[in-house]
Amino acid sequence: MSFQEKNITVSLISFTLILGFYSLRLWHIVRNGFEAGSVFRLWGVVIVLAIVMTIAGTILAHILSTILEAIRTGEEPTEVEDLEDERDRLIDLRGTKISYSVSSIGVFLAMLSFVLGKSPLVMFALLIFAGLAAQIVGDIFRLVLYRRGF
Amino acid sequence: MGKSAISNNIRKLRFLHGEMTQQDLADKVGVTRQTIIAIEKERYAPSLELAFRIAFVFDAPLEDVFSYDAKNDPI
Repeated sequence: MSFQEKNITVSLISFTLILGFYSLRLWHIVRNGFEAGSVFRLWGVVIVLAIVMTIAGTILAHILSTILEAIRTGEEPTEVEDLEDERDRLIDLRGTKISYSVSSIGVFLAMLSFVLGKSPLVMFALLIFAGLAAQIVGDIFRLVLYRRGF
Repeated sequence: MGKSAISNNIRKLRFLHGEMTQQDLADKVGVTRQTIIAIEKERYAPSLELAFRIAFVFDAPLEDVFSYDAKNDPI
């Protein structure tokens, strides 16, 4: 598995866990009365979690893979394979395009809910849901492209 | 995804150049081994710059390394 694939896998796992956490917390908020304070606090928690988990996960994944590689080969890896070439950039671009498409659909649905008379909190809840889902779909698409070759 | 309209002789040329490994070629042209694999399997058509770099490594004209088949081109 290449450096980029490891990063994408870490991102996919992180964002899937965050989406699960977000959905569970949102479910509790909805059941206990939908109020602005809880929704915006959840927004903050999700954004901080996304940043911290992605950074920590990436560092941890590289440390673990270096240790496993050293155990497997019996030699200390001398360099980090962080080379990014034109194929990596194209795959990233295609993944970003898919993420934007999913995100755009989510933003449209969020706005539509507001237009149809739902609370602005529903719109905000849908916006962050769409953002997380867009990242996950983009990561899956990138991994599929890597596994297929392109 | 189907094969691209660009086919190549990289596998044969590597063999003719002392069984050059995919990693050796990747290092010489500045890409990852996965990219060389994708090009060899004709799943990925390289940029013009990378195509020239690969041809340069084999000391061959571009058309000896890559060829274009209009039948496989969806355009």
